[in-house]
Amino acid sequence: MKNYSVVGKRLPRYDGTQKAVGAPCFTSDVSLPGMLYAKVLRSPYPHARIVNIDTTKAEQLPGVAAVICHKNTTSKLFNTSATIVFTLPPLVPVKDQRIFDDVVRYVGDEVAAVAAETEEIAQEALKLIEVEYEQLPSVFDPKEANKEEAPDLQGPREHGKNLPGEKIHLELGDIQKGFEDADYIFEHEFKLPVQKQCQMETMAAVATIDADGKITVYSSTQTVHPSRAILADLFDVPYSKVRVLSPPFIGGGFGVRIGLSAKAEPIAIALAQKAKRPVKVVYDREEDFTSSDTRHSGYVYLKTGVKKDGTFTARMMKAVLNAGAYCSFSTETHGVLGCMGLSLYSCPNQYYDGIAVYTNTTPSGAMRGFGSPQASTAIEAQLDIIAEELGIDRREISKKNMMKVGGEWVLPYQCQSIALEECIDQGAAAIGWDKKGTFDNSGSVKRGIGMACGTHVSNAWPFCGDYSNAYVNIQQDGSVQIAVGSPEMGTGVQTTLSQMVSETLGVTMDKIEVTIADTESSPFEIGAHASRTCYVVGMAVTQAAAQVKKEALEFAAKLLAERESCIYCAQDVQDLDIVDNMIVSKSNPNKKISLREVTIQAQFKGEQFIGVAKVVPQNAPPWLAHFADVSVDTETGKVTVNKLVAAHDVGRAINPTIVEGQIEGGLAQGYGYALTEEILYDENGRQLNTGFHKYMLPTAVDLPELQAIIVESDEPTHPFNVKGVGETGLIATAAAIMNAVYDAIGVRFFEIPMTEEKIYMALQESLKSCE
Amino acid sequence: MINDYVLPKTVEDALAALKQGNAKLIAGGTDLMLDLKSCKAAADTLVDINGIKELKGIKESDGNIIIGAGTTHQEVAESFLIQEKAVVLAKASGSVGSLQIRNTATVVGNIVNAQPAADAAVALVALGAEAEIVDKEGTIYQPVENLYAGLAKCKVDSSCQIITAVRFPALFSNQGSAYVRLAKRGALALPMLCVAVAASLKDGKIEWVRIVMAPVSTKPLRALEAEELLKDKEPSEEVILEASKKAAAMADPRDSKLRGSRAYRSSVLVNLVKRGITEAIKNARQ
Repeated sequence: MKNYSVVGKRLPRYDGTQKAVGAPCFTSDVSLPGMLYAKVLRSPYPHARIVNIDTTKAEQLPGVAAVICHKNTTSKLFNTSATIVFTLPPLVPVKDQRIFDDVVRYVGDEVAAVAAETEEIAQEALKLIEVEYEQLPSVFDPKEANKEEAPDLQGPREHGKNLPGEKIHLELGDIQKGFEDADYIFEHEFKLPVQKQCQMETMAAVATIDADGKITVYSSTQTVHPSRAILADLFDVPYSKVRVLSPPFIGGGFGVRIGLSAKAEPIAIALAQKAKRPVKVVYDREEDFTSSDTRHSGYVYLKTGVKKDGTFTARMMKAVLNAGAYCSFSTETHGVLGCMGLSLYSCPNQYYDGIAVYTNTTPSGAMRGFGSPQASTAIEAQLDIIAEELGIDRREISKKNMMKVGGEWVLPYQCQSIALEECIDQGAAAIGWDKKGTFDNSGSVKRGIGMACGTHVSNAWPFCGDYSNAYVNIQQDGSVQIAVGSPEMGTGVQTTLSQMVSETLGVTMDKIEVTIADTESSPFEIGAHASRTCYVVGMAVTQAAAQVKKEALEFAAKLLAERESCIYCAQDVQDLDIVDNMIVSKSNPNKKISLREVTIQAQFKGEQFIGVAKVVPQNAPPWLAHFADVSVDTETGKVTVNKLVAAHDVGRAINPTIVEGQIEGGLAQGYGYALTEEILYDENGRQLNTGFHKYMLPTAVDLPELQAIIVESDEPTHPFNVKGVGETGLIATAAAIMNAVYDAIGVRFFEIPMTEEKIYMALQESLKSCE
Repeated sequence: MINDYVLPKTVEDALAALKQGNAKLIAGGTDLMLDLKSCKAAADTLVDINGIKELKGIKESDGNIIIGAGTTHQEVAESFLIQEKAVVLAKASGSVGSLQIRNTATVVGNIVNAQPAADAAVALVALGAEAEIVDKEGTIYQPVENLYAGLAKCKVDSSCQIITAVRFPALFSNQGSAYVRLAKRGALALPMLCVAVAASLKDGKIEWVRIVMAPVSTKPLRALEAEELLKDKEPSEEVILEASKKAAAMADPRDSKLRGSRAYRSSVLVNLVKRGITEAIKNARQ
C-alpha cells in the first residue's frame, strides 16, 4: 500500500478544543431572541383512542403561548426516519406517523405539546390538558403480533399481519440440497434484547420562522438534507424554504436520528408557526428513552448444515424483529440482518426470511450495526457450538468458511478485499488464545476465552439511495474551505476529511476549514449513517480536491510561463505538484511558487479554484474478529470481563487514533449488549428502564482493557482504501463474550444480556440436572 | 417552591430555622433535590447544615468513632481511621453512587433517608452505631437500627430534630468487619443485595458477630439467629455455611425486574453472607 504524509497520521481532532473547553456547540445551547420552551404530553397507555382532548385550561395559563394536538396540526403522514430519501423504487417508503394522532400506540406516544415562556410553565400547562382515552387491545411481542388474532395496530397491511413493509427473502443455491449434503445439522433460536443508543445529547430542535414563512431549524439530526425533505413535505413548503443545520455539533447519534430527532423538529416548527416565535424542544432523558427509536429486539433462528470437516453446506436464517409502534427503519433492518448475516461466510446454499412486526412498544429504528449485531450474535454463538461438536478449533472453522475475494454471496456487489484471517490471528495472539482451556477453574470463579467474527458495510449502496456531494474551494490566500452536509457527531469527520483533502491537495492541515451540516452551505448530502462518511464523503472531498488542484496547477503553469519566458509552458502542468502550500516543479525542485501567490494572481484575473464532486459509491465490507477473556463468579453469576480485543480490517485508517476510538466505543456498547443493557416492559406496556440509573450502561469501572488492532487491506473501491468503521466495534462483541462465558462455565446461553441472575439460575439448573 | 435557603452556623440556629414554615434539612441533597423535583417531597425553606463546623469530620474519642452529620461518603471512604477500625463502613460508603455523588452525599443522610439498602446505614447497623439526635429538649442517643419507622421512613422528624452525628465503638485488633455488595454494575447502581458483617474473636472462637442484610426487609435486617448460632463457635467452613443459610432464610427480598427476582436473591444471599462472615473473620485475624 502507498505511503502518505498526512493520511494515516494521528493528528489532533478538529473539534477537540471546543469540546474540551465546554464551548456552547450543541442544539440545546441554542438561544434565540423571544424563544419559547416546549414540553410534550405523552400517552400513559400502550394503545388507546383519544375520545376527547380539551386544552382550554392549558391555553389560559399565564405564560403559555401555544398548545397543539391532533385537532389543530396537520394530519399528513410522514416517517421520522430518512426513508423517503433512502427508499429506492419499486419499494415505496412507509409513512405511518402524524405529529399527533387521535390514536396512541405506545406508552410515550405524543398527545399534545405546549410552548411557554419557561420550561416550568410549559410543564405546568401539560397537567391542565384534559384527555379522555378509550383503551384498545395491545400486543408487545413480535411473534404474538404477527398472529391472526392479534389486534391490527396500523390497520390491515398489504404484506402480512402487522407488517409495516415487505418480508425480505434471500436465496442462493438450493437450500434443501445443502441440508441433504450435510453430515450434521444444527438448529437454534436466539432472543435479542432492546438496546438503547444512549447518545449523550437528547433529542433537540430549535425552530424559527421568518416573516416570509421560511423555516430554519437547528437540529440534532444526523442527516440535515433528508431531514429538510421530511419537514418540507410535512409542512408543505418548497425544500428551498427550509434550512436545517447543526449548531455546530451533535452530542452523539449511534443512528437514533437518521432522519428527524424523534419528533423534536416537527413539534418545534408546529409550535413556532402557531406562536409566531422561535420554539425550543429538548427531550429529557426519560423522553429520550421512552419516545425515540431503539435497536430492534427479536428472534433469530438458524439452521446450519456442515460437513464433518466443518465446511458449510447450507445456511438458513429466519428473523422476526420487533418494529415497535411505528415503521421507522423497519423495512430495512431485517434486510441488513439477513444480507450481512449470510455474507460473513461462504456457503453454496443459503436461505433467509425476515420480517419486522408492529407492536405497542417504543419504535425500533437505526442503531449502530443496524441488524448486524443481531445476526452476528446468533451466528457466532452457534458456530461456537458447531466447532465444539465437530472438535474443530474455533479459529479454524471461521477461517475455513470465511468469504473470499470474488466469492459468491447474496450481496449485489463484489467482495474485493478481506483480511479476516489476519484479524483472527492477530486478535488471538493479543488475547492469549493459547491459554484457553488451561485456567485453574477449580474454585468458584471460573475463567474462559471466546471469539466471534463479523462484517458490515461502508455505506448503504445499493440497498438504499446513497450518494454524496462535496465542495472544495481554494480561498484567495491559498487556504482551503471544504463544505459538506455531513454532521460532526463525535466521529471526527472534520479531521479525517481534512486529512484526505490535505493529502490530495498539498495544502497543510492548519489552512483547511470544514463547514458541515447546513443545508444552505453545501450541496445535497445523504448524511451520517451506515459507516459511510469517511468512505463516501471521503471519496467526494478527494475528488473535489483533485479537481481544484488541477485548476490551480493549470493556472500556475500559465503564470509561470508568462514570467519565465517559457521554461514552464502550459503543457508542462504535469510537471507541477503542490507540496506544503508550495507549487513546485517535480523535475527541478528549485522552481517553486507559493499557492498563496498563485491565488492572489488568480484573483486579479477573476479566477477562482472551485471543485465540486458528485459521488455514487460502490461498497466495501469491513471484517472483524473479537476476543473476550472473562471470569464468571459461579456463586453470584456475575461476569467480569478481563480483556476485550478487536482486530478490524478497516481498509486503511485515515487517522488511527480516531479509528481506535470508534472500535473501543463499539466494544463498550457490545459489552453492554452482552451483559447489562436491556429495556424491559411491564405488563401494561410501560418501560422499566427510563434513565441512566435504571438502564445499565457499563461505567468506566466495569470496562476492561480494550485493545483495538487495526489490520489494513488494499481495498480498491476507495482512493485511500478506506472501509467503514463507525459501526463495526460492537458487531461481534456480544458473541465473543457469550462464547467466553461458555468456555468458563460450560453453559450455553441463547438470550442476551447474560445477567448475573440468568447465569446463576442456569448454573443452578445444570447442577440439578447433574445430580 | 423553595423561597428561602438558610445557612446556619450552629445547631441551635439550625433548629430555630427549622421552625419557619415548611422547612427541611439539607446536607448533601443527592436524594432531597430529586425528591423535591419529582414532587415526592415538598418544602419552602431549606436549612443547609454545611456551614456548621462542629458537624464536620471524623474523630476518635474514648474508643468511639464519631462521624459528624456533615461528613461525606468520600471522606469516610478515604479515612485511614475508618479503613483501619471499621473497614465495613469505608467499603460501604465507597460503593455509594459515583465519586461525584460521594463527594456531596453524607453518611448520616443514609440514615435519615431510611432506604432499606442505603450502603452506609447497613454498615452502621453492623457496627452497632448510635445516632446523636438533638432537638429543643436536648440530646439523645438511639441505635441506628431502631430508627426505621417503615419503608423509607425515619423516626427522626427532620422538621424539628437533627441527627448531629453517628458514633460506634472502634473495632479492636481481634475484631474485623466486611462489606459484600452485588450490583448490576460497578458504579451508579443500587445494590441487588448487600451484606455487612462485624465480628469479634476470642481464643479462636467467635465472641460475637453482627450480620446485616439488605434490601431484604423494610430496613437493614439483622440475622439474629445466625449471629446466635455462631456465638462461641470456632469459625469452620461448615458452621459459617450453616449460619449463612439461617441468615438467608430470614430474608424476604422482593421480586424486581430491575434488581433481581426473589428466587435469585434468596438463593445467592447465602453465598454473600458466607463471604461476608469469612472476610470479617479474616479481617479480625489480620
